[in-house]
Amino acid sequence: MWTFALRSLARQPGRAILGVLGVAAVGALLFDMLLLSRGLLVSFRALLDSAGFDVRVIAADVTVAARPRLDGSASAVAAIRSLPEVEDVVPLAFGGARTDGRDGAPLELFLLGAGPARRQPWIILQGRAPDPAAGAAPELIVNRNLADRLGLHDGQELILRGDCGHEPAATPPVRFRVTGRASFPFDDPRALTAATTMDELRRVCGTEDGDDADILLVASREGQGPMAAVQAIRARRPDLHAYSNEEVVARFQQVGFSYFRQISTVLSSITLFFGFLLITVLLTVSVNQRFAEIAALRALGFTRRRVILDVLAQSVILVGAGGLVSLPLGFLLARRLEAILHAMPEIPAAMRFFAFEPRALGVHALLLMVTAVLAAAYPMRLVARLPIAATLRTEVVT
Amino acid sequence: MGPLTALLLIATSTAAAPRATPPAILVSRQLLEAEHLEVGDVVLLSADPKGGQPRPFRIAGTYEPVPDPAHLGAPALEARLHLPDLVALAADPADPASADSVQSINVTLADRKEAPAFMRELDARVPGLLLRETAAADDRDVTFVVLDRFHLAIAIVTVVASSIFLLALMVMLVDERREMVAILRLIGLRRRRIFLQVLAEGLVIALAGALFGVVLAVALEGGFNRFFQWRYDTALVFVRVTPAIASRAVAVAVPLGILASVAASWGLLRQGALSLARR
Repeated sequence: MWTFALRSLARQPGRAILGVLGVAAVGALLFDMLLLSRGLLVSFRALLDSAGFDVRVIAADVTVAARPRLDGSASAVAAIRSLPEVEDVVPLAFGGARTDGRDGAPLELFLLGAGPARRQPWIILQGRAPDPAAGAAPELIVNRNLADRLGLHDGQELILRGDCGHEPAATPPVRFRVTGRASFPFDDPRALTAATTMDELRRVCGTEDGDDADILLVASREGQGPMAAVQAIRARRPDLHAYSNEEVVARFQQVGFSYFRQISTVLSSITLFFGFLLITVLLTVSVNQRFAEIAALRALGFTRRRVILDVLAQSVILVGAGGLVSLPLGFLLARRLEAILHAMPEIPAAMRFFAFEPRALGVHALLLMVTAVLAAAYPMRLVARLPIAATLRTEVVT
Repeated sequence: MGPLTALLLIATSTAAAPRATPPAILVSRQLLEAEHLEVGDVVLLSADPKGGQPRPFRIAGTYEPVPDPAHLGAPALEARLHLPDLVALAADPADPASADSVQSINVTLADRKEAPAFMRELDARVPGLLLRETAAADDRDVTFVVLDRFHLAIAIVTVVASSIFLLALMVMLVDERREMVAILRLIGLRRRRIFLQVLAEGLVIALAGALFGVVLAVALEGGFNRFFQWRYDTALVFVRVTPAIASRAVAVAVPLGILASVAASWGLLRQGALSLARR
């Protein structure tokens, strides 16, 4: 059956090639839209998981801009750390600071303070993390952008002036010693980020007496799972709001970048319809031109089922070949589109709009297969209803 | 004054309102609906995220917030207060300066072109202010420039796919008319004459297709907008078929259609009449 269908297509190679190319183009777009529909969620989840913390604890269930800081973070950390479901807790506070650029112009940077913990919410690339028990000079770890911008190397000193916003105080400059370079998961490509200990961040911000944090990152104990940790935290500290990474992603799915999910749904539907139309037209015209041949085959003994399956096989071959070509095309197109979208401000460098997951491949194949069957339905109906004797007579007369 | 970081909203009935009329506020339509409030209700607002030191306000009306594409999907739960009320609500008792400070001051100039000179002068007179021209590009503009580029890239891929589809259709059309072309050639029509006919046919088909596309886009415009406005609860306009966009679509589609006709017919036109007839 397949050989016969292939020969039928090969008789009109130009038409078959155009059919395959058409399906490849719409298939590539469809593949990209499938990657886009879940890309941000997949990469956001990967970012959340990247530092090994699977639960987030905040002070209030409100948007980031309106979120209050978590007062009494030390007692909250102690309470959560004592839970058997919890492996580790690190309080984080966010602030800002200014320093002098190489040209003397002020440079604003994002400053992060982390409490003592076994795990750190960043990935060390070179050197070591700031040590709370360091000697005279407080320590600082910087991201690659900041290190390159200021030409920083390990052991070099950097003076920071706090600019933390939430406390309108004029703070004295603090002299730090750089201990290494780190990668911060949520940095955007242009971010200038540095991290130090919680105490030093408070010193820079002029809030030495404070005991607040922006967020607590929690790692659940192996074998217990994040939901068990979340339940335990909610039971121990009902005044706090704990969420597993899965819950954070679910909330992000509701509000964050839903535009891309919508556009991917609309474009996927349009591309599928387009592919369906293309294959239907190709096969219908082809069948119309082969009425005499099909009637002759039937007269020679080909069953109705056999000629119907021939049309279906042609559709599957066209869509299958186009679908295969569409995958590398889709990957290339996704890279180009990713580069375009990544120019958006404040998108973490590690975030991907088009994130590959095997599920997308399966859905792509399934959708194309359904398209192939649907596109073949009308020409198959034509073939099934073809009156053999009348068609042969008409062909002979004409 | 620090930013008003949170609003605690406790709705009470009009009957429960205190005798002294509380200050009036406007609330967004979305907030009114989300909290099942009504005009005339008295609500308690607080600048403290934990709801400390709330003050009563009377809902004097509702408004539709200016649609902001940057906050698509996030409901606009907003309220508008008179500036003195907001300053009094958000002022920090420990910071006397907070009762006399605002985050920004909007200035309308008599002549918009004077903005750079005005900013230079103000900067010289009041150092330390952050001055910004509202017409200047910001991050949100960059976001929409990026989205524009993304849409353009998607449109190019769609046009490529459409062109292949069109070419396939034209190849089939021409193939079906092989015998007719042979007859035309045999009765004396020149290649040039047939080529012009193919060109004219391509032009008519492309024009009809492009116009149908524009009419379809205009017809679907309202439906698209209504769906997405309902989906995101916003007054934003998502699709707008402007004359410029329609012209651009026609300007791309028509040459492509003609090109597809010519490309599909090229092989046929190059063959001799007898070769075509002997098929």
